[in-house]
Amino acid sequence: MPADEAVFRQEFPVTGGDFAKAGVAACRIKELLKDLGLDAATVRRAAIAAYEAEMNVIMYAREGRMDLSVSPDEVHITVDDRGPGIADVELAMTEGYSTATAEMRELGFGAGMGLPNIKRNADVFAVDSEVGRGTRLEIIIRRNGHGTT
Amino acid sequence: MNTRNSHAIHITQDKCIGCVHCLAACPTRAIRVKGGKAAIIDELCIDCGECLRVCPHEAVHSHTTSFAALHAFEYKVAIPSTVIYGQFGTAVLPNEILSALRRIGFDEVYDLSSICELNCAATAEYLNEHARPRPFITSTCPVVVRLIQGRYPSLCGQILPIEPPREIAAKILRSILPKAVGVPAEKIGIIHITPCPAKMVSINDPATLAKSYLDGAISVRDIYPQILGSLRKSEEDAMMRHLFPETLFSGIGMGWSLAGGEIRGLKGHRAVAVSGIQDTMRVLDQVEAGLLQDVDLLECTVCPDGCIGGPLEVENRFLAKSRIMELVAAAGEHAVVDIKDVSRLYHKNFLSFDHPASPVEPRPLDRDPTAAIRKAQRREKIFGALPRRDCGICGAPDCWTLADDIVRGCARLEDCPFVEGKKEKR
Repeated sequence: MPADEAVFRQEFPVTGGDFAKAGVAACRIKELLKDLGLDAATVRRAAIAAYEAEMNVIMYAREGRMDLSVSPDEVHITVDDRGPGIADVELAMTEGYSTATAEMRELGFGAGMGLPNIKRNADVFAVDSEVGRGTRLEIIIRRNGHGTT
Repeated sequence: MNTRNSHAIHITQDKCIGCVHCLAACPTRAIRVKGGKAAIIDELCIDCGECLRVCPHEAVHSHTTSFAALHAFEYKVAIPSTVIYGQFGTAVLPNEILSALRRIGFDEVYDLSSICELNCAATAEYLNEHARPRPFITSTCPVVVRLIQGRYPSLCGQILPIEPPREIAAKILRSILPKAVGVPAEKIGIIHITPCPAKMVSINDPATLAKSYLDGAISVRDIYPQILGSLRKSEEDAMMRHLFPETLFSGIGMGWSLAGGEIRGLKGHRAVAVSGIQDTMRVLDQVEAGLLQDVDLLECTVCPDGCIGGPLEVENRFLAKSRIMELVAAAGEHAVVDIKDVSRLYHKNFLSFDHPASPVEPRPLDRDPTAAIRKAQRREKIFGALPRRDCGICGAPDCWTLADDIVRGCARLEDCPFVEGKKEKR
């Protein structure tokens, strides 16, 4: 790809178990999208999806990375983690389904809304997971899109 | 840069020596030091007063109403923030303070604690009638409203649309007093007394009303010496107020100025109180990310510990807080406002916003999406070349903001003393 293409890219490392930094990457993404001139509704959809994705890595994986790329038309967030993977992706996409521990729930996490919430706010959402290795999420949010509900 | 100058916070050029205290303290990075003097970027300033707290040279001042300006009114009414009751130690009763305000020139003075209780009851009614969205955010702190309009625009619709006690009180008085005292409405001046510079902004440029019902705001700091002087000279009055108290204070509303005070009287709803500018921003970030939806009401005040920590108070906030907690306990839990009155006013929409708070025009790097992307790329490159010491010598609060200013065309790379002589790689 040409070096001067009109795509803004940035990567955000996320460390599993680092609850002190929960939401930091999502917040940074939100600020960037505002600077890039996306409207408030689109920024909010992206912020919610990014937050849920970031939290999934923090709660379940050892480590992961969020790659943001923004073109004039869409926001693309890819989340790769090295972790337990998801055995039944379809089940995990069901609202209310969660494998969160009691401890996580006590902190207010793990209501089983993560992946369904990303799906609702994204225009395109794909999950690719391998048990024992990790999970990859592809999230696309379009300028003037509406999510998938 | 936009100069819509309804701001309360200003820099006194003569006193400013161009140091970096205010730069670092500003939560919205609205200050730059240019030509050896601090300058505020109006469109970013939210009038929180953090700069005023930290300036070692008293170069930051707030435009509040002067006592002398009240002569313009034939009939002068004061509605002091309940913060005032915590300013004069434990021996002075609220009734004495109200009485002292009358002696120094106000024709009438009204306590706000009962109206705070009324606001709380109206809030409960609103929450009962509106199941969504969650959480609603209270609007008492004008800085929070500005912060949401500018930084969290998608939350504008979550501001609970009931006017704060000061505006409700002024609105009630404005509708009753002209007849009651026989003075034309325009000759009655209704003045708030407050520890908060931002109240002046909410009066001059209200976010949710066509026009404020208040005519001005005097700072606690400005009026304190006169109240103190009057209190010292009137032992007989103190005796009178002790033996024949004339105002009935609300224990539910009395603690309104302490963090958690707005939600203390709220029964049957999950409410959370946040105070301090940094914590407020952290929590609003979470709300914008879709969290806290199991919370009905979020009380946010940007001053530490609530309005009691306002930058224009006199007594240290810990003593003031302790005093107010004594008064809350003394006043007890019983209601002084008739719930039927509240309901009537509520259903007449007498307590509501005129209009919702609207988002402030955003400031993207560029209006054109492709150009904005290019500028963001360039900003990252510039930031990478900066030392990240956030020293403030360039005049921006930190290296990231300098990089941002450069791509917006308001600063140059040469402003950084550590990269002098180097050319920016493009």
